Amino acid sequence: MTATASLKRTFVVALAGNPNSGKTTIFNALTGLRQKVANYPGVTVEKKTGKTRLNDGTMVDLIDLPGTYSLISRSPDESIAMQVLRGLLPDTPAPDAVICVVDASNLQRNLYLVSQLMELGRPLVIALNMVDIARRRGLHLSSERLSRALGVPVVPIVGYKHQGIDQLKQALLQAKIPPLPAFPLPEPMTRAIHELAEVLKEPNAHALAERLLTHDDAPDLKPYFQDRSIRHRVESIQNRLVEQKIDPIQADIEAHYRWIEQVSAQAVEPACETLEAIDNRPQSPAGPSNVQPVQVGFAPRISLTDRLDKVLLHKVWGMLVFSTVMAGLFIAIFILADPLMGATEEAIANLGSLLTDRLPDGPVKDLWTDGIVAGVGGVMVFVPQIAMLFLFLAILEDSGYLARAAFLMDRVLGRVGLNGKSFIPLLSSFACAIPGIMATRTIENRKDRLATIFIAPFMSCSARLPVYGLLIGTFFAAYSPWVRGGIMFACYGLGVLAAVVTALVFHKTFMKTVPSSFVLELPSYKIPQIGQIVRVMATSTWAFIRRAGTIIFCLSVILWAMAYYPRLSPEQQEAITKQVAAELPPSIQQEAIDQETESRLAAAQLEQSISGRIGHFIEPVIRPLGYDWKMGVGLIASFAAREVFVSQMGIIYAAGDTEEDVASLEQAMLVDRYPDGSPVWTAPVAISLLVWFVLAMQCISTTAIVRRETGSWSWAIGQILYMNALAYVVALLVYQITSHLMR
Amino acid sequence: MNSKSFERSDHARSGDKADGSGYGPLSCLDVGRCAYVVSIEPHADRDLKRRLLEMGFCNGASVECIRRAPLGDPIEFKLRGYNLSLRSDQARYVKVTAIR
Ligand SMILES: Nc1nc2c(ncn2[C@@H]2O[C@H](COP(=O)(O)OP(=O)(O)OP(=O)(O)O)[C@@H](O)[C@H]2O)c(=O)[nH]1
Ligand SMILES: [Mg+2]
Repeated sequence: MTATASLKRTFVVALAGNPNSGKTTIFNALTGLRQKVANYPGVTVEKKTGKTRLNDGTMVDLIDLPGTYSLISRSPDESIAMQVLRGLLPDTPAPDAVICVVDASNLQRNLYLVSQLMELGRPLVIALNMVDIARRRGLHLSSERLSRALGVPVVPIVGYKHQGIDQLKQALLQAKIPPLPAFPLPEPMTRAIHELAEVLKEPNAHALAERLLTHDDAPDLKPYFQDRSIRHRVESIQNRLVEQKIDPIQADIEAHYRWIEQVSAQAVEPACETLEAIDNRPQSPAGPSNVQPVQVGFAPRISLTDRLDKVLLHKVWGMLVFSTVMAGLFIAIFILADPLMGATEEAIANLGSLLTDRLPDGPVKDLWTDGIVAGVGGVMVFVPQIAMLFLFLAILEDSGYLARAAFLMDRVLGRVGLNGKSFIPLLSSFACAIPGIMATRTIENRKDRLATIFIAPFMSCSARLPVYGLLIGTFFAAYSPWVRGGIMFACYGLGVLAAVVTALVFHKTFMKTVPSSFVLELPSYKIPQIGQIVRVMATSTWAFIRRAGTIIFCLSVILWAMAYYPRLSPEQQEAITKQVAAELPPSIQQEAIDQETESRLAAAQLEQSISGRIGHFIEPVIRPLGYDWKMGVGLIASFAAREVFVSQMGIIYAAGDTEEDVASLEQAMLVDRYPDGSPVWTAPVAISLLVWFVLAMQCISTTAIVRRETGSWSWAIGQILYMNALAYVVALLVYQITSHLMR
Repeated sequence: MNSKSFERSDHARSGDKADGSGYGPLSCLDVGRCAYVVSIEPHADRDLKRRLLEMGFCNGASVECIRRAPLGDPIEFKLRGYNLSLRSDQARYVKVTAIR
């Protein structure tokens, strides 16, 4: 294999390893890319590729994989890793070599995957990562000793400091197919494997026989199970083993672990053997009768993680801290970002007028002020808030707290038919439902996963934030930032409530199944790295800005054109002017007449524009919710992207505004009147709109991801129908009730 | 493997407290106590059994119960030098001998 691989120009190397062992950190160090790194298991859920050049000039295609505990996968993300490693994915070449990233502070469990990779028959290199943590914990591993025990090159690495990366590249050049370890299997099991291997007559028949006997369900084994004679043979051998009181799965895994215990004992530096004897003491091999009751702790000292967890996972304090963190997250976004937003708004206005003053009157100037500044600028105002949200999420993600939150929430989420592992996807959905839905790949149970995907868009994403900000900022401006923060929090809360109720309904009706499993590793806490946090925040915020600069920009131009054309003909203009003059008493000053004429003209222009016509067409449908045609146009536009609602309001009110010194969108909205003189925008309207935006499913990209992740259109379409129907009904009720109460 | 590891223990089935005299389910291990794993109950779901074994709950491994979540479930354990949480519904399938 090495021989053929070195003949090829590019060499494909897969990065495998347990979740949270630092694969992506090493991938980034090798390729110079910036894939997402965070301190919880299950960050990477897709294969990502990059390139790196080895010391002899060979180009390598590097594949970063989702973490997996085993080559027998249980969740969709693990399945991707398994299929790439076994070379089963049609779009990915089988790797020529594998780098297995091993967390040195958690050696034994990490070596389990290594033991399986050694049977895979591909050249293997071990990247012994996080040696800094291991050392801090008093574990002195020797990479040479480990390498000797395994028969595989082992490179000690501190991933985030880029230590050992060069040596890893060097080792890759010498990667060889590892020797098959001698797992101490029970005698009948060894015989069974031999027996089956003989029937199979294939080059790697032993490993294959072991997989067949231990119920491996990987797709490459399907042909063997379809072959009647092989299937019967496998089943009869399995039955025989069970009669001999041997469970093939248990016997196999326990033999791997027995081998691992030997290897890890050999990997310890001799000087530290006495200390390490506690951790890596070969464990009693025999059955329960030989078990000696010795009370020993595993950790040599009480670590910071243990001390922090005493508080953070405490029955009372833990819940208190959790609620504070969650509530604080959202209120802080609103309050801390408030002053920044004012500054941004001003900056955008100044920037806009810079060009406005130089442009000649006409459609180009109108496009700039009423289309681009009003549309894109309106959304950009919210960048500080969104950056703040991303900052808090990045800190939480890198601290190690998220796995704890999942632990704390498992029972609560279990009650409504979800899973502690739904927590991280749902929390990520507050930034955007798309990564949130992708993150559900770590959920093993399909029912839990589908329920999580279904409710994820109820979490208020960052695209809704500008809409909430505009509406709350306009209608509750008189209140203190705390009240506004509270209302904002209530919007988020309503989404969560809808999600919980929906999940509960699912759970109690058609998705009732067996209780699902929850096996979650709790990683050590880490002090979040400032550089990394800032990078994550910057990339996410930049994505939002880019979106404003591209999609929102294009949509703003289109929406502007739709609100601008077709123009009134001169005859129409004349008719309106005459009408105004006739209507107003002659005693009035000329100035007032001009002003009235101008605003009538603008209104008429807007009404006859494409947007105006569409808006009036759908007005009957949205009238019961308290919306006028302008909001209707905004709602339609927001199906392209939610924040476009803000752009659309900006564009419509800029177009309809006659005064040059437009104070602000908020003021324009507040003074808008129906022909009968009643205000268009009232508190009930704002609340009803907020409810609509909290609950409605308006994001096409999310729908595409739901379709892909669930594998069926019915889920995606069901979600749209359900969420929008719910949004309509609740917004209707809220408007009708509040407007009656406030009358 | 050792044939004894497949004998069912009545303690495990009845969900009794693991006491010094015999075997019990891991879910009943008191907080702060250590125990040795004896086996995974043979009637456990195959995927669950495999996952528990892969995570290191093998015959002879020592496990410590660190804490229960505020609502009683899931439970955090320490084994092989790392921390793992399981629901008690799953920990029930791990048969252990309590240490003192
Ligand atoms: N102390 C220390 N931390 C590290 C080291 N390498 C990575 N980390 C941290 O470990 C955490 C996990 O790193 P990732 O690279 O996201 O791990 P991963 O294996 O890609 O994780 P998944 O994608 O979830 O499987 C991050 O918080 C890293 O900053 C290291 O050598 N030492
Ligand atoms: Mg990763």
